Amino acid sequence: MIRCGFCGHEFDEGQVKTGCASCPMSSGCRMVKCPRCNYENPPEPALVRKIRSILKKSGS
Amino acid sequence: MNFGKKPASTPVADGSGNCALKVALAGNPNVGKSVLFNALTGAYVTVSNYPGTSVEVARGSTVIGGVSCEIIDTPGMYSILPITEEERVAREILLHESPDVVIHVLDARNLERMLAMTLQLIEAGLPVILVVNIMDEAERMGLAIDIPLLAEKLGIPVIPTAAAKKRGLPELREAIVGYDRKRHAVFGYGRKLEADLMEIMALMSGSYTLSKKSIALLLLQRDEEVAGIVRAAEGDAYPAIEEKVRDKMFARRDSFHLDLSLERKMVVKGLMDGVFSAPDKRKPVFGERLSRWAVRPLTGIPLLLITLYFGLYKFVGSFGAGTVVDFLEGTLFEGYFNPWIISLTNRVVPWEIVRELFVGEYGIITLGLRYAVGIILPIVTTFFLFFSLLEDSGYFPRLALLVDRLFKKIGLTGRAVIPMVLGFGCDTMATMVTRTLETMRERIIATLLLALAIPCSAQLGVILGLLSKFPGALVVWGVCMLLIFLLVGLLASKVVPGESPMFYMELPPMRLPQLSNVLTKTYSRMQWYLMEILPLFILASVLLWLGKITNFFQTLVGWMEPVMSAIGLPRETTVAFIFGFFRRDYGAAGLYDLQTEGLLDARQLTVAAVTLTLFIPCIAQFLIMQKERGTKVAVAIGLFVSGLAFCTGYLLNRFIILTGIL
Repeated sequence: MIRCGFCGHEFDEGQVKTGCASCPMSSGCRMVKCPRCNYENPPEPALVRKIRSILKKSGS
Repeated sequence: MNFGKKPASTPVADGSGNCALKVALAGNPNVGKSVLFNALTGAYVTVSNYPGTSVEVARGSTVIGGVSCEIIDTPGMYSILPITEEERVAREILLHESPDVVIHVLDARNLERMLAMTLQLIEAGLPVILVVNIMDEAERMGLAIDIPLLAEKLGIPVIPTAAAKKRGLPELREAIVGYDRKRHAVFGYGRKLEADLMEIMALMSGSYTLSKKSIALLLLQRDEEVAGIVRAAEGDAYPAIEEKVRDKMFARRDSFHLDLSLERKMVVKGLMDGVFSAPDKRKPVFGERLSRWAVRPLTGIPLLLITLYFGLYKFVGSFGAGTVVDFLEGTLFEGYFNPWIISLTNRVVPWEIVRELFVGEYGIITLGLRYAVGIILPIVTTFFLFFSLLEDSGYFPRLALLVDRLFKKIGLTGRAVIPMVLGFGCDTMATMVTRTLETMRERIIATLLLALAIPCSAQLGVILGLLSKFPGALVVWGVCMLLIFLLVGLLASKVVPGESPMFYMELPPMRLPQLSNVLTKTYSRMQWYLMEILPLFILASVLLWLGKITNFFQTLVGWMEPVMSAIGLPRETTVAFIFGFFRRDYGAAGLYDLQTEGLLDARQLTVAAVTLTLFIPCIAQFLIMQKERGTKVAVAIGLFVSGLAFCTGYLLNRFIILTGIL
């Protein structure tokens, strides 16, 4: 879940598009757009996700 | 929309894979519906546009107590009378898809305000379970809610939850499968309104999914969709209903919405009596006080200035662009790395032209890598740390409210704070975001102002770092940017036709930023930034190298020399402006080099910083302007911005010489 840094809306990262097709930066930009206010939020980096899942596994 | 009555389904596990129970989550935006949805459904989720709309609806399935359930996360809604497309879709799901259970999720901290919608759902005859969410925060604030008493008064199950902490979920699951749709309380309005409703209901004989009372109320609120349904359901009897509704509306023409709202408030007040208690003279927590200060102009503007002073000037400018850049670029790169790599290349590579490409004046390593890692990286890191801190604290929406009145004067609204704030990160990305503004007028004005007066993070950082050595220069730069932003905005709002739309937004709570969030966001943004700038900086170095070996670069410098001289800058400054064509931050880094070489005094530095900030947007931003606003608008903005940049530079130079302020 991502909490929008602007409006506080909580949404699933998988539910929204990353980057924008017409943007020249779209290949490098993986920003996640809030479906409510369109603010661009950075996604959780793969490294952080991996650490989190390891911590979760060791905790359970 | 179809309000035709459907036979009620009986909740049993059919074992066929089809869900026996349909459960819809409804409620205001920002009350934790999606968190609850995810907690109930887990991984079995599909998201698709609701037919005929661009509104996305998430559906998931789960098994509760042996009963298979489909869970639908409806878009946020404030009332059963829809205004937005999202609300229309949410109502359509509630009514057309005939859910077996409607879970109304509300925020325990705003119980009184949100209970009005619970009333509407119950009044409509929907099978409602009330979930009082975010109980943990409410308790922390000292609020007490008598849940059993509220359940008794409403006549429906009421479950206290803290969905984010998975609190109350077993009780909610139990309530879903054990739901008895025959139970619910009946609420009465004032005698006059009840009499009016009775008169309309008496004329209705059709069958509806909604209660007749709810239909009558929606008719009185001029709900066109409901009027169409009633027309279809009543046939010949409809004209009499229409006339009755028209009579009642005429009699109450001045204040029906207000009257109804007050009537509902009275009912809610009665419900809250004995149910809700707040500590006597509850002292607002610090976050609430800070939130109030942030949106009021009298306290909000000083707070903004303090934030900018410590965050941008001291942290990004003095520390990031000063101390850290001095160490990384000055000590590590210039002192150790560059001499080592130059001598190594000189020994290994015999061809001068290739040496020039890698370690020459505009070499990929000695210029491109040094700019990207030695100058830009520490600046964007400190900037994104500061940015993520503000973002995680919930300050940005308050900033939007604070500047809304000022922005209205320049043809924008507080909503434009989103692209403006993002512009300090990357103007290209921010220009794309302008498409979310409501009117074309707003989009054009915001695009122009982004191209003109909003420096991107790295450019801003370098400029702050350079000018922080001369505080007077920084003040002149700041005043220039603010004046030009407001003046051009004001002019644009007069020239570009159109109206300013309304701006309204619900404020999320202000909170202490979480270190893990701030670090994760900063890391993510830095990763994105480096991935984006490194290839571009290398490409720019190659192009500059090509320009140097073909002598085109020197010719270009020669062409621009008279302009530079007119604004009082030395010939060498042209290089920074040519760099700026590739990227704004690359240009600012060029300025940094000139300053460290001692080629610019305080006046020249100020004039160069102002002109370069206003100067033409980078290639990527120009391309996106062309895509978003069309070639004509993009070229017009590009020409206007460049012309204005040099005119401002010229006037500022004259002004500083005449007044001798620097």
